[in-house]
Amino acid sequence: MSMPGIEQSIEAHPIEFTGSGGEYFRVWIVNVLLTIITLGIYTPWARRRKAQYFYSHTHVAGSPLEFVAQQRKMVMGFLLMAALYLAYQIAAETGQDVASGLLMFGFAILSPFLWASAMRFRLSATRWRGVRLAFTASWKEVYGASWPVFAIAAIWGIVFYTARSLSPRPPAGVAPAEPAMALPSLGAASISLAVLGVVLTVLCVIRLEYNYRRLLVLRARVGDQAGRWKPVYMDFVRIWLATAGFLLLSVLVAGLVFMLLSGGSLALLRPSKDAGPGGMIVFILFVMLGLFLAIVLATLPARAYREARIFKLVWNNVGVSHMARFKTHLRTGPFVWLRVKNVLLTLLTLGFYRPFAVASEYAAKVGSVKVYLKGGADQIQGVLVKQQGAFGDAAADAMGLDLIG
Amino acid sequence: MLQARWFDGHSTRARPVIVRLIPAGSGPGLRLHALDDGQILELSHQQVQWPERWSHKHRPSRVVVDLRERGSLQIDDVAAWHSLLAAAGRRTPLAERMQTQLRVLLMVLAIAGTCIWAFYRWGTPWAAAHIARHVPLAWELALSQRAMEEIDASLVKPSKLEPARQAELRAGFARLAELARNDAGLQRYRGYAPALELEFRSGMPANAFALPGGTIVMTDAMVEKARSSSEADTALLGVLAHEIGHVQHRHTTRMVVEQGVLNIGLGLALGDVSSLVSFSSSLLTGLAYRRNHETEADCYAVAMMRRAGLPTKPMTDLLLSIEHGAADESTDESTQQARRGGFSWLSTHPDTAERARQLCPK
Repeated sequence: MSMPGIEQSIEAHPIEFTGSGGEYFRVWIVNVLLTIITLGIYTPWARRRKAQYFYSHTHVAGSPLEFVAQQRKMVMGFLLMAALYLAYQIAAETGQDVASGLLMFGFAILSPFLWASAMRFRLSATRWRGVRLAFTASWKEVYGASWPVFAIAAIWGIVFYTARSLSPRPPAGVAPAEPAMALPSLGAASISLAVLGVVLTVLCVIRLEYNYRRLLVLRARVGDQAGRWKPVYMDFVRIWLATAGFLLLSVLVAGLVFMLLSGGSLALLRPSKDAGPGGMIVFILFVMLGLFLAIVLATLPARAYREARIFKLVWNNVGVSHMARFKTHLRTGPFVWLRVKNVLLTLLTLGFYRPFAVASEYAAKVGSVKVYLKGGADQIQGVLVKQQGAFGDAAADAMGLDLIG
Repeated sequence: MLQARWFDGHSTRARPVIVRLIPAGSGPGLRLHALDDGQILELSHQQVQWPERWSHKHRPSRVVVDLRERGSLQIDDVAAWHSLLAAAGRRTPLAERMQTQLRVLLMVLAIAGTCIWAFYRWGTPWAAAHIARHVPLAWELALSQRAMEEIDASLVKPSKLEPARQAELRAGFARLAELARNDAGLQRYRGYAPALELEFRSGMPANAFALPGGTIVMTDAMVEKARSSSEADTALLGVLAHEIGHVQHRHTTRMVVEQGVLNIGLGLALGDVSSLVSFSSSLLTGLAYRRNHETEADCYAVAMMRRAGLPTKPMTDLLLSIEHGAADESTDESTQQARRGGFSWLSTHPDTAERARQLCPK
């Protein structure tokens, strides 16, 4: 920058989202209707339309993003995924435990591979000013970054093995002399062992998140330019610690509110004794659904908090080689409130508010980012990027890793 | 014609171009004339990904046309682009018409409603009946054996019924089984001939249930309940005929298939609305199908009893008395309410009283 003669100015460009919730609602309802009419076959077309709506309304330095995935590949990926899912369902429903277990195990082993191929597909389907993005991590790097998964398995193997060797095993025929004395210390030992296991597991989960995000940025390319990554592992740990505190606080507040509101009205929910087995099953289902909903709602603010903090950390600390830096002015508090409001409205409208929710959160995130370009937007050279198969993307989508968001 | 910026994929540098649309039979083609070096690029309709219009009123500030490996064309004068498209006579795909014309959207909405209804009314039961045809009897038997082991271990005790009484009922049951085997009018799946067996168990309220593949279980309480009736055996045989109906219709197998089809179909169709909607609609629809199964088994029982030359009235009376007994025991006002309204809709078995009243007229 300070070198004489090649002084290059740095210009700030906003990233804008020019769509709206109402407009996206129309996109969404068209997708839902066509999916119903085609008995679900429309799904890959619907995904492409959704992606194209968001991409084409996201303007980076004056030029919209493009979603250029081949429809044919998306359909093939979807059909393959649907066939495998059907096979798993049939195997599970008809009690073929070996087959369904094998399918499940296969998916677990393949999940890093599927994640990476989903990222390959998504980045290579993204284009800006005629130049494609790419994800260039090798399979070795992907499985290398996945080591925390195997570490978690190892940790729990060790925990169970040690716990068993610690447990009292009196010789056959001899009664334990003082069980009352022996039990507490052993119990404490097992408990502290379990706590240690949980702590290590959480650290591994954080490490996995860190590894994957780092790999995604470092091995991302825009044309001939590679991504840059600054955050360190401890940044992520700090955010998770803050999230734990936030979770404790929000659960406490939610619990208080719940106690005040519900009081005696719980008694109304008691099942009638002679409602028959059908009624009982329905009642148990309702209770389970309620419990699930309560957990989702109680952890909601904390999850939104973590999401916003990670988003800020990442987008304030990444760039594209030496020519682009990003900055975000996303504010955590308003984002948490937006998420809470969105989820409540989505529940109240039985899901019909969801398109508005998706659009508003996308706008909040994307609209908060500014890109600082050194030397203008004209200098990136295009590189031939191979079209990617879409099976990994379809699998990632089926597991809830959405294209947009 | 209009001015635009072409990003040719070699770099992010924009090239000024003049765009023309060339009308053609299969849809307009695109012709670019680069102003920097005079290059001319002609593309047919299929070589271009035409961007969708998202709104009737609101116009985006910029539009990008995907030229595949030839890069992208950024158009800043969107109004001129749209009038160019209209002049070249581009046909709009269905999704785009739904997107921009309310009339089309409402039409498709009506079709979608009809589709859901047809899927529920005919699609799933049809698929279930056809798939059930290909499920081997051995699978049903393995499932039953496992289920029976679980039931024996946790829910019921061995029967305390005197052997003579058991033998009496088994003899009547054997006559019904004989009918089911030999009478073509009582067969629902061609070539499906499971070995029908009757088992007695105690430790449960008055009940009878059928396992797939032919095992039918009746509780001691049921037999006791019928004792007061003057035609106890006929009443119990009616109940058994109903359970044979479940076996012959292969209701358990069909239910497994139906629930699977529902979970997948509704999950795909409504999953994007919310998993709550798709989960509860698949649950409620599954319950509705199970109620249909009960009606089918009732009709089967009526047909079977007629062929056996037995009346169905004693069975109806027995079911009514069980229903009354249960109603008398519950004194709580709210549960009475639930019995009358809510739960009869949600539970799998239709109200026994209503069922008895509706027994198939033929």
